[in-house]
Amino acid sequence: MKKWFALAAVIAVAAVVPLLLNPTGYWIRVLTFTLLFAAMAQAWNLIGGLANQTSLGHAAFFGIGAYTSTILLLKFGISPWLGMFAAGALGGLAALVIAIPTLRLQGHYFALATLAFGEVMRVIANVWTPLTGGPGGLSVPFTPPSFAAYSFKQLLPHAYIALAALIIVTAIFEFIRRGAMGYRLRAIRENQAAAEVIGIDTTKVKLQTAVISGALMAMLGTLYAQVAVFFDPDTVFSAAAISIRVALIAILGGVGTAAGPILGALFIIPVEELMNDLFSAGAAGLSQLIFGAILIAVILWRPRGFITLWDSLRARFARGEARR
Amino acid sequence: MTILDVRGLSKRFGGLQALSDVTFAVPQGQIVGLIGPNGAGKTTFFSTLVGLIRPDSGTIKLSDSSIVGMKPHKVAALGMTKTFQNVALFAESSVLDNVLTAGLLRHDVTTAREQALICLERVGLRSVAHKLAGDLSFPERARVELARALCTGPKVLLLDEVMAALNPVEMQEIMDLIRSLRDDGLTLLVVEHHMRAIMTICDRILVLNFGKLLADGTAQQVANDPVVIEAYLGRSAEAHR
Repeated sequence: MKKWFALAAVIAVAAVVPLLLNPTGYWIRVLTFTLLFAAMAQAWNLIGGLANQTSLGHAAFFGIGAYTSTILLLKFGISPWLGMFAAGALGGLAALVIAIPTLRLQGHYFALATLAFGEVMRVIANVWTPLTGGPGGLSVPFTPPSFAAYSFKQLLPHAYIALAALIIVTAIFEFIRRGAMGYRLRAIRENQAAAEVIGIDTTKVKLQTAVISGALMAMLGTLYAQVAVFFDPDTVFSAAAISIRVALIAILGGVGTAAGPILGALFIIPVEELMNDLFSAGAAGLSQLIFGAILIAVILWRPRGFITLWDSLRARFARGEARR
Repeated sequence: MTILDVRGLSKRFGGLQALSDVTFAVPQGQIVGLIGPNGAGKTTFFSTLVGLIRPDSGTIKLSDSSIVGMKPHKVAALGMTKTFQNVALFAESSVLDNVLTAGLLRHDVTTAREQALICLERVGLRSVAHKLAGDLSFPERARVELARALCTGPKVLLLDEVMAALNPVEMQEIMDLIRSLRDDGLTLLVVEHHMRAIMTICDRILVLNFGKLLADGTAQQVANDPVVIEAYLGRSAEAHR
């Protein structure tokens, strides 16, 4: 019961924060992207955390999502809300296609294979000009502002949509983690042969997880396209800016936990923006260098993620209680 | 009624003939011991039966289904599973979760949890249900293996050295448990190095050496079989003359 109150309080606070920011300002944009990246890292967390398969190719699904809804809107005038589901279907299909050959790989080999897949998608989007617009990218066409058309004058609605997306993806993550599938995934993660012998169809469970993860990532790609308004292949299919970043967010926050991606995104996205803000006037690359140094320091300090900070705080609190 | 029927089972790893034309049948409700010197192929044999290793040739029938080439999870669903000799628990999960996960083969989470507690009770580990599996002692972990295998609801259970490192009291408990499982209608194949335990509980003993079935009979017959004695102790000086 106490847990539910705490959860309701966190969501209430999160719902108020956007109202406190300047609706046409810079920080509401940072907040929107923070929430969006938290949701993306949570989608990654399904395959990367629960199944312990470190994907470095999630940009593939993200980009498929951004392109699917935008092309449907451009060519057929279909609302991005509907386009988002088409994006999810295509993203899930792509995840299935890539998962069948790669999921038998483990560790570094899986990471490298998925990295390659993301890059292949980037190259395809760059050369398939009639469909994707090629390296020039796509602009999301302006439609009269309305909720049904997923078009707004301000960023505020986008911030709330990103918050809702984060809550939904996190709920899906928790539902899977706590249910039968969560038990099966933990078993596979810890000992695949033993999992098979006690009756778990390890291939099927991993494929299901990959498809859900890929579909959610693609749907979030649609949200990104609607906020960003313009994107090109090198942005949405970027290994560094999307694939590695979502993995980094989840790992830094606490991989395999529901809070991990949220904590990770709350740290990484604002700090990265702040570094760009403070140091971009200096030498070229200085802000990235400082950001990298901060990341290294944080990983050395909390190698198992920010989530362990919570555990040690709780332990300290419990000791304090006992002393009294 | 024959529940497990194995014919001409062979498996070669490079230059090593791990299993060589193994043939035998087990009627339902028997406890069958499987003995043999180290490297005789006992663990390979179990792994082949449950589908972790694909044999080069031969047939395996469980009840009336041919299971050669099936994945282990299908074999488990049909009712045969095994424990792991070197213990393959989900170390970062609780003892209860280890066993519960096996129960999910035939039940939802709530029922699987009840089943898991029953299985833990049977192996005498109910009191450590909430400990991490990795924190248990080796003999305890072997018993969690047993509870986990049991929770899949098997008809045929292959136990690979679950009595290793047990003290005499614990060993007696496990022997009683194996008998009570047989009385419930289970069929058990047991690999064990402890001869007294094997001789006491098994209705029948198979002897494996260099992947070949050397002998098949009651404890008495096997113990007096000169071929078996030779495999274990070598040829006597007299025979060399």
